Amino acid sequence: MLSPVLRFFTIAVFLLRTMQDYIKNYATQVEQALRNLPDQEIAKAINILQACYERDGRIYVFGNGGSLAIATHWVSDINKTIFSHHLDHPSRRFQAVRLPSTESEITAWANDVGYDMIFAGPLRNYIQDVDVVIAISSSGNSLNIIKAVELANENHVPVIGLSGFDGGKLNELADAKILVETEKGEYEIVESVHGTIMHLITRYFKNYFDHMVERGKSI
Amino acid sequence: MRISFVGGGTDLPSFYTRYPGRVISTAIDKFMHVVINRTPFVDKISARYDVSEVVSHPRDLKHSRIREALLDLDITKGIQIASFPMIPAKTGLGSSSTFSVAMIKGLYAFQGKRIDKYAVAEAAARLEIKLVGEPIGKQDQYAASFGGLNVFQFNPDHSVEVRPILLGYKNRLALEDHLLVFFTGITRDASSVLSEQNNNIEVKFESLKKMSDSVLDFEGRLMKGDLRGLGQMLHEGWMIKKTLASNISNKVIDDLYDVGMNTGAWGGKVLGAGGGGCVMFLVSPEKRKAVLAELVKLAQKNNLIEAKEVPIRFAQSGAEILHDSSILT
Repeated sequence: MLSPVLRFFTIAVFLLRTMQDYIKNYATQVEQALRNLPDQEIAKAINILQACYERDGRIYVFGNGGSLAIATHWVSDINKTIFSHHLDHPSRRFQAVRLPSTESEITAWANDVGYDMIFAGPLRNYIQDVDVVIAISSSGNSLNIIKAVELANENHVPVIGLSGFDGGKLNELADAKILVETEKGEYEIVESVHGTIMHLITRYFKNYFDHMVERGKSI
Repeated sequence: MRISFVGGGTDLPSFYTRYPGRVISTAIDKFMHVVINRTPFVDKISARYDVSEVVSHPRDLKHSRIREALLDLDITKGIQIASFPMIPAKTGLGSSSTFSVAMIKGLYAFQGKRIDKYAVAEAAARLEIKLVGEPIGKQDQYAASFGGLNVFQFNPDHSVEVRPILLGYKNRLALEDHLLVFFTGITRDASSVLSEQNNNIEVKFESLKKMSDSVLDFEGRLMKGDLRGLGQMLHEGWMIKKTLASNISNKVIDDLYDVGMNTGAWGGKVLGAGGGGCVMFLVSPEKRKAVLAELVKLAQKNNLIEAKEVPIRFAQSGAEILHDSSILT
């Protein structure tokens, strides 16, 4: 029989170890997903965005739930943060728009037409040849995402697709197929890595514009 | 428009039907704007470029590309087509095919159709090669339609593979900064050079094969950022190309090229089919000014009054419809 003090100590160490194991295990899973990043496809996505910037097109970003939060966060970074060092510089800026851009549109489309149309509906108002679509869906199969991507495909507007699990239909339809391959249902891993990829894109353009300005080039 | 680095000439069907042709090129920030306007109250056909043509039926147009495109698409009345190039024709920057690509894309949209980049490039190539009968290849149409820095592979079954070169911004800007494009002031028709080259395919088959294979080597060095090596490859490519047809180079071009190389350029070539147009050098930024000064001096000596540097930056975007008002009309 262990003394009460020793027993308490043993339980504490045991708990700590399992918590640490849990944390480490999660980190390992994320690490693994990061190691397998589809670098070619991310590079393609960067080229697509570069072309869109040159022709002054717009970038429409959307997703459901956490993916919508990633989209919103990215819009703020790409529209403002990457130009932080040159806010007075009379440069062209990115024009990224999170869709739908108002809650009223989400509820109007969902209530009147159907939840499947909350992205494709508003996208149709905006879409032009010079634009780009970024669709974020862990399963790659959310019907409202696929409807919007199909609309972009019909218009030959390039689609950057961020998906997880096995990529689903989104990975088939996208021009830049950014698939974070995991077991089905690993939402946290996929969304964490999606966030990293979006930050990577932000960082690339931030460094690129800084580099240009340092060299006295116009942006 | 575009600049091509190596592999030009291997995009001719007389070559690529026997061995895969390859070209590595980049789109540049010199654009061709084409305006297509529907005129529901005027039945005439109007083509506006260096001159203005107004005719009752497209078959009467002098501008061969517009004429054949309209006849092929069965557009016979009520249209105006105008072109606004940033760089004039016959400078070796692929302007005529860039025009064809922009016009084809626009005409399809005019008819309410959207086609993808491959289809646009193929339709423009068909227009120029088959319908107009130009003895040219397909690299320029693909470069204009896709934009960016790419390797194009022309397969014996006539299919084309487009492989974008995924170069980081540092290597891309470094390459831009090392390129010097100089317009010679001499304009020429690509067709005259290419038709002789087309006839020489048999004799020059091995040279062209070497040029096609060297594209992969060029791509490898580009990814590594070996700019000096790229200069050397441009030089070797130009030396081979000069042997392909008698009119690819001439005394003035040779002199301009030599003066650039003697002033310290790592390599260079004539852009486009040859015979005139632009010379391009790969030169270190330290030597750039000196090379340019020598080129200007020599051009003046030869009375080439229009000769001057063409500052370029790479462009990632290809042909795009910037505005479509058809839904409103």
